[in-house]
Amino acid sequence: MSDTALAARSPLAGLLRPGRQGARGDLPGVVVQERTGLQIVSLAARKGQEVPLMAAVRAAWGIDLPTTPRRVGDARLAFVWSGPSQWLAVATDWPGDLEAALRAHLGGLGSLTDQGDGRVVLRVRGPHARDALAKGMAIDLHPRAFQPGDVAATLAAHIGVQIWQLDEAPTYEMAAFRSTAGSLCDWIVAASAEYGVEIVEPG
Amino acid sequence: MRIACPFCGPRGSEEYTYLGDATVRRPEGDAPSEAWFAYVYLRDNPAGRHRELWYHGAGCRSWLVVERDMRSHDILSVAPARDMALARGRAA
Ligand SMILES: [Zn+2]
Repeated sequence: MSDTALAARSPLAGLLRPGRQGARGDLPGVVVQERTGLQIVSLAARKGQEVPLMAAVRAAWGIDLPTTPRRVGDARLAFVWSGPSQWLAVATDWPGDLEAALRAHLGGLGSLTDQGDGRVVLRVRGPHARDALAKGMAIDLHPRAFQPGDVAATLAAHIGVQIWQLDEAPTYEMAAFRSTAGSLCDWIVAASAEYGVEIVEPG
Repeated sequence: MRIACPFCGPRGSEEYTYLGDATVRRPEGDAPSEAWFAYVYLRDNPAGRHRELWYHGAGCRSWLVVERDMRSHDILSVAPARDMALARGRAA
């Protein structure tokens, strides 16, 4: 038997090439970036354990788990609502194993599953990000209806996504299943072309 | 047609999967075969209000009970199926 070394490979390797596409202009209307350095773990409260689970998260990280479609936390560790009593923990450059850290504090109160290898996360920002996303999304992204911190589980170009808004640039992040990464990227780049789209190095 | 998910807000029907009649009740295991036949096969087809199970599969993945007018497709109420089951006395 030979030794086999498996290397982690982005689902977008070779698909999302850095550079400018679409309309020319001084500034791109949309900037697209694949997020890297993330750990993603799903969390679901065990039956009847919502209240103690929320107390345990608050005690460990000072975060109030959102009970409506919101994202609470910061770039280091955030909890993204994904359904009643369900969340995604999303951490950037977390030192160590995020699932183990969550399990150490929450074991028994919630069910934890590492989702990091199964998802792709795209950051989409710029003055025309909203216009580009609106071409394939039925939810209202206008600031009166969707603001920084807001989350939606919905469809984008018929692909299931979880989207959250980070700031008023606006900057959005979209998480989707890994196998849909190519289609999702093709769509967002095509939808952004008329505004000028800059694809930046993953980060 | 748009259904207002109690958790996600109003969404198009493309985000949902239709299951069927939300009014039928599973008989007890020792119920007569007529009761099982009715549960499995017999459905009303009302011209008017009806309660149906819909699954918000592209959203929060909740089962919902939707009250709908079959003539106009007006949505009259939407509630989590879990809450309705608990209200009927089913164990959590
Ligand atoms: Zn929903």
